[in-house]
Parts: sequence; C-alpha cells; structure tokens
Amino acid sequence: MTRVLLGLTGAVAAAYGGLLLLDNGFGDLVDVATWLVAGVLLHDLVLAPLVIVLVVVAARFLPDAWRAPAAAALVVLGSVTLLAIPVLGRFGERADNPTLLDRSYWAGWALIVGLTLLTTALTITVRARSARPGRVTDP
Amino acid sequence: MTRLRAPDKADFGSRLRSAAVTARVGMWLGICFGICFVTGLVSHWSQLPQPPIPVPTSPSWGYTLTQGLHVVTGTAAIPLLLVKLWSVYPKLFARPPMGSARRLAVHGAERLSIGVLVAAAIFELATGLANASQWYPWSFSFRSTHYAVAWVAIGALVVHVAVKLPTIRQALDADLEDGGLDRPSVGASTGGLSRRGLLRATWAAAGVAVLATAGNTVGWLRDVSVLAVRSGEGPQGVPINKSAIAARVTDTALDLTYRLTVAYGGREVSLSRDELAGMEQATEELPIACVEGWSASGSWRGVRVRDLLALVEAPDGSDVEVTSLQPSGPYRVTTLPANFASDPRSLLALQLGGEPLAIDHGYPCRIIAPNRPGVLQTKWVSRLEVLP
Repeated sequence: MTRVLLGLTGAVAAAYGGLLLLDNGFGDLVDVATWLVAGVLLHDLVLAPLVIVLVVVAARFLPDAWRAPAAAALVVLGSVTLLAIPVLGRFGERADNPTLLDRSYWAGWALIVGLTLLTTALTITVRARSARPGRVTDP
Repeated sequence: MTRLRAPDKADFGSRLRSAAVTARVGMWLGICFGICFVTGLVSHWSQLPQPPIPVPTSPSWGYTLTQGLHVVTGTAAIPLLLVKLWSVYPKLFARPPMGSARRLAVHGAERLSIGVLVAAAIFELATGLANASQWYPWSFSFRSTHYAVAWVAIGALVVHVAVKLPTIRQALDADLEDGGLDRPSVGASTGGLSRRGLLRATWAAAGVAVLATAGNTVGWLRDVSVLAVRSGEGPQGVPINKSAIAARVTDTALDLTYRLTVAYGGREVSLSRDELAGMEQATEELPIACVEGWSASGSWRGVRVRDLLALVEAPDGSDVEVTSLQPSGPYRVTTLPANFASDPRSLLALQLGGEPLAIDHGYPCRIIAPNRPGVLQTKWVSRLEVLP
C-alpha cells in the first residue's frame, strides 16, 4: 500500500513537470527533448563503454597490486574532470565581467590530478610494504 | 569465428555492479536530489512576485544557505550519479521477457520510468552545472525548464524508489559483501577494487567535487576551491553577475539628470542622487546570494525603502514594483513583496563598503534586501511604484 501511494505521488509529480514543460514553445521543446535524449545517449553509448574499455586495458597492463588504487583514482578524477568541463572550457566567459571564471582552472585541475595520483602512489607503496601472502587488499 | 552480437546482461561479471553498491550510492544520491528539489522550490518561490507560501525576510542569510546547499548537493550528485549508473549498466542489456504480454508490458513500463529518471537526472545536473558558469548552449529558458524537469526528476525518482523498495531494504539490511542480490553472472572477487573500496572512492569523489567548488559560497574554502566559478574578488570586494555594459546602462546610469521616481496612485516624488544622499541613511550588512550558488557579504549604506514609500504616503503592507534603467531583460521590472518593502533592513543602497556604488554594482542606487535571490536585488533603479 505504501509503495502504491508512493508510486502514485511520484507519477503525479512527474506528470506535473511534464505539463510545465509544455509551456515552452515548440522550438524550445525540441531543444529540451534533444538535451534530455542527448544526455542519456552520451552516457550510455559514449561514457560507459569508454570506462569499460579503459578498465579492460588497465587490467591488462597494470600490475595486480595497482588495480584497486588505480580504479579509485579513476572514479575521483573521471567525475571531477567531467564536472570541471564548463570552467576548463570557459564557455561562459564575458569580456565585460572579469569577476566570472577568474581562476586558472587548468592549474587547479592539474593540482587535483597531482594530489590524487600522489595519494594513489602512496597507497600502492604502503600496501606493497605491508602485504602478506593471502591477505585480501581493501583500499 | 565468433560473430559480433549485442552485449547481454550476463556478459557483465564484476562483483561491484551489485544492488549492494547501487542501494548505498543511490540512497545518498536520493538525499542529494531531495535537498536539491526542496531548496530549488525555495529559490523558485523566492523569485515569484506572488509566491504560494510567503517568503520570510529573516534570516537574512536564508537564501545564501538554501541556494548554497542547492549547488553543493547538486555538485556532489554528479559523481554519485555516475557511479550509480555504472553499477546498473548491465540492466540496459537485459532481454525483454518474451511470451507473456503482461510481463512484457510491466518490463516496458519500468524501462520507460527508468529512462525518464535517467534523462531528467542527467539534464538537471548538466544544465545546473552549465548555468553556474553562465554557459547557455541551448535556446530554452534555463529557469523555467530546470524547474519543470526538476518535477519530472523527483517524480520519477519517487516512482523508482516505490518500485525498488523491497530490493533497497534487502540490500541495505544485508552486509555490503553479501551476494544475495547479485546477478548469476557475477564471479568471485578477482583482486581489483572491493565494494567497500568503490564506495570509499565514490564518497571521496563527491568530497573532492564539493571542496573544489564550494568556495563560491563558503568563504573559508575560497583558497581550496580551485574549480569554483568565482574567486570572490570584484569591484568593492563583491563579484558581479551582470555588468553595466551587459545591461546597457553605462550612459543612463551616469547621466547627471538622473532622477528616481517614487509613485503611489496619483502621487509622484522625483529625487536626484544628491537628494537621496541627503535623506536619513542606514547601514546594513547583507549578503548578495545568486541563483548560481555564489554569495558575498557587503556593508551597504543608503535610504530605507520604507522611508521612501512614506514620501508618497503609501500604506504599510503594499507590494512595490521596482524598475531598472536597463532597457530590456527579464529582471528589468521586479516586484518587492510587501514584507520585504516594509522590513527596516531593506535599503535603496547608495554605497558599498563606504564608497559610492561602483557602476557594476548598480550606481546610482540599487535595492538590497535580506533573504532575497541576487537577480531580484535590482540594480540601477529608476522607479519605485507602490502597487495598489
């Protein structure tokens, strides 16, 4: 019963959102639909397969002890890089507003990459030292 | 020779793509989306001339907090959503159940609801992220569309939770390494990352994402937030969202014949900037908090709005229409609701930080009121009209 009520509430809220969307003109609606579909396609057909290929290649070439820390580094760097795209590309920059996008974003990104790789390298080193035969690694 | 074929759910063998992981990441993702939705409603209502629930004027930092939370939880949701989607990716290749029309229909309905949820979730995070850096690679109105799709996203999320509730409960009650809910194709651990390791990496990614951006609104994080859209610098120590050039007011704002008009019914009072400066002045420490999630506090000095309204003998408790010198734009004319107009902290500011307002901050004068979205702190004010 709780689940049915919950489901109905959700369906009503989603339908309300759909109605609100219809306030857009036809041209804008096409643009909204394009963005809605493009997001899913970009994830399912580009990003997700790319990650799979990356992991397969990494698993083949990285030493076993490196795999877990490298995967953790991929989670952090992959998502942070993705969310940094708007500032790295400076797409919203305006000549008349120097208070917007006023940092060196590539330097900032490089700093995050450097610190993450350093942490990863330290983890690998510490683990290699304390590794005992048969011990399960757990990052 | 093996023929190329579409991947199947059974091709995915990783132990990490498990309901045990999905439910845990999903729970935090759901919490982030919940906070985003509620704070988004607050922001939406704050921008309506007649909100369904009146927005209070206190605390003055209310909007700074809710909109800061909105952007921080939205940013944290990006790594969470990516890992969540990764963990359920094999389901994309599940074969529809053939044979029973009913089961096929149920399968189709669930697929559709998931499709709507994923599309709406990615849309909200992508458009929100782009808007924070004022990047608009689309033709639709950001505000109304982000708001509409938020309803779709939260609705589809609630439906999804309702459908998955037994699985979620079972997964959260069981041990993280428990294999009870795993696909049959899942193999034994192969050494790489453990489930606990993946969860820790996910929390770390969300943490880094927040630390790298939250300095926009959390002052002491400013130096750490290397990816924040703003450094917090600006004329008179406060950043700006729309410059005088962008608003096309560079001539009218500096015109020596400038007059502010205050009107109510048939009464009209016209004041020069010197006459405004000759009235009783008040100083208030108030934040500018923008929908993009950045905020900055300033020491504003000017005339109390209610003192100006008294000049035309406007009754207490009236809404005020504020008009800017800017020739166009969605925020050229805004409404200052009655409770904001009569609040003694609401100023028509002439100074910021002890100096005359910089033109980019709204010279000759601007509205600054407590607990208001920045876009409604109208700059370059030319007219205050008390609404009947």
